[in-house]
Amino acid sequence: MGLDPTSRARFNLKDASVLLLDATPLGMSILVQIVTGLGAKSLHRCIDGETARAAVEGNQIDLAIVDSMAPSGEGYDFVEWMRRDAGEPNCYTPVLMTTSHTPRSQISRARDCGANIIIKKPFPPITVLERIIWSSKEGRKFLFSDTYVGPDRRFRNVGPPKNQKGRRREDFTATPLPQAKASGDAGDNAADIEAGVDLDGN
Amino acid sequence: MTTARFTVPKQRLAQLLKVPGGLPVAEAVAAAQANLAVLKPQCIGELDQLLAAAEKIFAGLGATYDEAGVGALYEAAVRGIGLGDVCGAGSVDVALHSLCELLDHLQTHQRYDREAVGVHLRAWKLLISTELPPEGAQAVLAGLNKVSALYSAPKTDEA
Repeated sequence: MGLDPTSRARFNLKDASVLLLDATPLGMSILVQIVTGLGAKSLHRCIDGETARAAVEGNQIDLAIVDSMAPSGEGYDFVEWMRRDAGEPNCYTPVLMTTSHTPRSQISRARDCGANIIIKKPFPPITVLERIIWSSKEGRKFLFSDTYVGPDRRFRNVGPPKNQKGRRREDFTATPLPQAKASGDAGDNAADIEAGVDLDGN
Repeated sequence: MTTARFTVPKQRLAQLLKVPGGLPVAEAVAAAQANLAVLKPQCIGELDQLLAAAEKIFAGLGATYDEAGVGALYEAAVRGIGLGDVCGAGSVDVALHSLCELLDHLQTHQRYDREAVGVHLRAWKLLISTELPPEGAQAVLAGLNKVSALYSAPKTDEA
């Protein structure tokens, strides 16, 4: 995402209410050390889905960092519940999903649970900060459908799949990317970060 | 027919991040990194404990597929991922990820390869060692890559 770790640009997490969900004590400690280093003060530490749901029901959460909790995948269930049943405003809260390893059988759960982004462990603090800023970007569509509730997973409008006729209104205005960039994910777009929060150092 | 509804919610976090004051990126990242350094002894201890548990499970496994045993090994390995980086042994994370990939493959196909699992556990033990030079770690990981490559390509009889 291209955030310079030596940047003097400022950001403020002091007043953000942050939910952390990780079943392992050390995993939780790592998350706590990172987000407190980044300036967060208000933390809801949850060791399972039940305590996390209680935290969401009783507080406005500004950011959630949720471990997938392999091999059970309980973290995916929590995020899906948050998106579908937590109600406004918490259903829209940016969710960073962390994962150690995603078993083949859970790849679709990871994709469809509604997290804004998935971060693979190990993750250095700069990566967490980049993802926080990217996930907080305003103006991104949020989708409610029968099979998926969460942020729009289409980051770029590149039109319908090759050799298929587009069905969406946006397909007519799509601008296909050059071949070399077509496989890149949203994580490559440094401009998204700059748009999300002013990090120009002024 | 699937129905879909879009909305563009306001993100309070976006507003909070812009509140004057706060921390410079460089300062915050350095503080977070310093915070993590405090956890180094705990991470080493946890990796040692998980390795001991994994070795015990491995010793109890036979030559054929044992769903509960392979699952228990997976749980031990997956819990260790991320700890290596904190204690300055990032190659342990790579080895553990490779082990999880292998175990997941074995679970998916209900097969067992004792030698491949054993190689990963020996690599885990070697890579935890603080005396192993970086080139030694690279050699160990290169060996694991060869083992992993055996499982990365789909086999025609499994299609």
